[in-house]
Amino acid sequence: MIAEEAARAAQAAGRPHTAAARPIRARLRLTLLVFGVLAVATCALAPLIGSTSISFRRALDTSIPFADNVDAQILLIARLPRVLAGALVGAALASAGVVFQALLRNPLATPFTLGVSAGASLGAMLVIILGGSIAVGPWSPVPLASLAGAGLAAAIVYSLANGPRRVMSTTVLLLAGVTLNAFFSALILFVQYLADFSEVARATRWLMGDLDIAGFSPLVGALPLIVVAAGIFATLPSSLNLMGVDPDSASSRGVDVVATQRWAFFSASLATSAAVALAGPIGFIGIVVPHLVRLLVGVDHRIVLPASALFGATFLVGCDLIARTLMAPIEIPVGVVTAIIGGPFFLWLLVREG
Amino acid sequence: MAARARRLTTVLVLAVAAAIGVTGCEATPPATTQAAQRIVSLVPTVTEMLFAVGAGPQVVGVSSYDYFPPEVERLPKVGALIDPDNERILGLRPDLVIVYGSQSEAEARFKAAGIRTFSYRHDTAAAIAGTLDTIVAIGTLTGHEARAREVTTAMTRDLEAVRARVAGRARPRTLLVMARQPGTLRGLYVSGGVGFLHEMLEVAGGQNVFDDAKRESVQPSSETLLARAPEAILELHGYGDPAASGTDIGVWTALASIPAVRQSRVQVLSGDHVVVAGPRLGQGAEAMARALHPDAYQ
Amino acid sequence: MSLGHAPYLIASEVSYAYRPHGRTASAFALSGVSLSVPRGSFTGLLGPNGCGKTTLLKLMAGVMKPSSGRVTLEGRVLADLPRREAARHVAVVPQDTHPAFDYTVLEIVLMGRHPHLGRMQLEGPEDLAIAHEALQATGTDHLAERSFTSLSGGEKQRVVIAGALAQRPDVLLLDEPTASLDLGYQLEVASLLTRLGREHRVTMVMATHDLNLAASMCNALVVLRDGRLLAHGPTADVLTATMVRQLYDVEADVRFHEGAGHLTVTPMSRVS
Repeated sequence: MIAEEAARAAQAAGRPHTAAARPIRARLRLTLLVFGVLAVATCALAPLIGSTSISFRRALDTSIPFADNVDAQILLIARLPRVLAGALVGAALASAGVVFQALLRNPLATPFTLGVSAGASLGAMLVIILGGSIAVGPWSPVPLASLAGAGLAAAIVYSLANGPRRVMSTTVLLLAGVTLNAFFSALILFVQYLADFSEVARATRWLMGDLDIAGFSPLVGALPLIVVAAGIFATLPSSLNLMGVDPDSASSRGVDVVATQRWAFFSASLATSAAVALAGPIGFIGIVVPHLVRLLVGVDHRIVLPASALFGATFLVGCDLIARTLMAPIEIPVGVVTAIIGGPFFLWLLVREG
Repeated sequence: MAARARRLTTVLVLAVAAAIGVTGCEATPPATTQAAQRIVSLVPTVTEMLFAVGAGPQVVGVSSYDYFPPEVERLPKVGALIDPDNERILGLRPDLVIVYGSQSEAEARFKAAGIRTFSYRHDTAAAIAGTLDTIVAIGTLTGHEARAREVTTAMTRDLEAVRARVAGRARPRTLLVMARQPGTLRGLYVSGGVGFLHEMLEVAGGQNVFDDAKRESVQPSSETLLARAPEAILELHGYGDPAASGTDIGVWTALASIPAVRQSRVQVLSGDHVVVAGPRLGQGAEAMARALHPDAYQ
Repeated sequence: MSLGHAPYLIASEVSYAYRPHGRTASAFALSGVSLSVPRGSFTGLLGPNGCGKTTLLKLMAGVMKPSSGRVTLEGRVLADLPRREAARHVAVVPQDTHPAFDYTVLEIVLMGRHPHLGRMQLEGPEDLAIAHEALQATGTDHLAERSFTSLSGGEKQRVVIAGALAQRPDVLLLDEPTASLDLGYQLEVASLLTRLGREHRVTMVMATHDLNLAASMCNALVVLRDGRLLAHGPTADVLTATMVRQLYDVEADVRFHEGAGHLTVTPMSRVS
């Protein structure tokens, strides 16, 4: 019987896997190298390109006083923070996507599936429409309210999913998240309905995503949160692998399933909240990037997670570059660009699967 | 309903309505020449005009966003652009309803009920002239044509006076800010090269730094702002705007290398006269002129 | 009842209570179960659905803590051991495996090395060698680079067993390992397990509701009903018509089959 199967395997209908051939250490190193170089190159080149043509040499010319050096101002105040924000948000959303997909055992999950982004949007809407002046440190009112909203949504989902059973049921998580999404979206529509037209226009603009942070201050606010999330991310991959195969027997292989689920939920929610608070809900990164990365490197989370973070940075910085140059001087909202690129890609993926 | 105290610039209300497609100001020719006696106005700007031409006593209902002049407090509120309360409006037995140009469905309904309508269209080209025309048209419809002409003459005089005051002076490249997110420079909406704000700025002796933009509102990126380097920045806030206190203009230091910021020429102008294309345009232009050319008003 | 060997895997007065969803009173999945599994034996865990087999397996794996009583392996309380350490001694083969992601066969088997690796350590060449050995032992080495989900049922189970073998456990717990397999694969997996138990000197405990399978593979049987221990001892002593009647309310013919070389159970009629 084994011989028979060996023969069948030779003409296997199953998908051949080229990615898993080499040992993991080598693959990890190679992947990090390639994606790392790509990310660094993109972040280095992006500030040099934009709707206004600037001279790099002039920008770096220290003999010209900064106040008179428009090229330098544009490079360092307008573009550089923007590119860094794009990298940070892209990395955060892509890696949160990977973690949520593992947590929910579903490759179609996104960082926004569990309602975190709807909470963030509601918070932002309320301040944009009702006004607000509470600011904390580098967090201005709208991002701060957005962060609060996201935190609230995550807390609600967490308490709903952490019922009498200790292990979080993925079904309950999904249902709680979808319900919260619907509920918060309804609230958002209601608030918009009550609002002035101009307020609605501005609120809608926020929902399309915006990386033009005008200075490093918002980055300073978001960075610690994302760094904390990243630190937790680093401890998750092998546990996520085991849980991805079989959550029940994962604990018989040494994984603390309950703790892993909690840390995964917390860290992915934190990264998503910070990213959305900083730049608005930019969609498709959390699903397109992990899928693309899995196509290239396989499904081992120890490689997929860091590679997705790096590629997420590259992807978003690239999309933002397109957003601010394609129809210059008009800027396309970056969320629109990620959707236009991400949507068809996703359809292609589905067609390919079928 | 959102608290009265929290109103933003109605200019953006009009700006968005403008985006839906605006041409000139067209008044539906009245079926009769009889002056309207029971008027419901869904457009706050026109409400103001009605009271300015002396038709206040004839107004029986106003929009939910109306708050000026103070008399409107006592009047029934009937909704606005997206939610006009038809029952309430009809219940007031109006013979003239002022609607937005884009409310064609509502307009058709009133016409079908035999009620005269006046369709307010927000002009972007020749906006000030359009406003003056609207005031006269309103005056004619309500039997106050003479008073309306007095008002428009006075407005024209005021605008000319402002123009004369600042004539010959250097025109600073000015950024007219209509809105932004509180506490930050993100989400900026500024005036483009068309519309009444732009025209007021011209009268007030300023040069719009975005006068090449053929739209009423522009959302510039930080890069564009730095490249355009305005010499003066005017933030406009309507009545009840939570940001009107102007305490957060310190956020402009994020773009400290803009000439206007360097030379501390960032000012906040509060009040409806600077944001409403109505009878107080003249005062609005003067406010801008005083901000841009303080020496002309010593 | 011991088979004369030194105490090895022992459950002492083990009870497990859980709260059924929506009710405040607890229900007992297991009450006062005591048994001793001799080293190197192949013990079958029998009983009707819901009798507590899976719960007992989980307790014996140390992934759940008993409400009272304890499970020890060579004298050490399993539930008190750090999870990784318990995993180095006890491995579990679930009934079926549905990965959420498209892992390869080798990736899945390598995960069996997890308890032997440090927290952030990656597998090295030795782990790779052990994984391939496990694959060879189950005759699935040629499938190493294949996608797990593309395999047949029998292949999948063999790969999962290989993964458990890669853990190098002292005890292998299996939950209905052949339940979802065709007859041919059933026999295959059965002979594989018997051979592995013998060759690798792994103590096997297998939960099953297939009496004939149990008779063919196991040299000791544990019978549970409604969370209580009904019988425990060598197969020949435990597997009787009386026991079948008690357990399943079924009249059965239990006899030794010369050709097969083990006891067989043929159900005949329901007891009214």
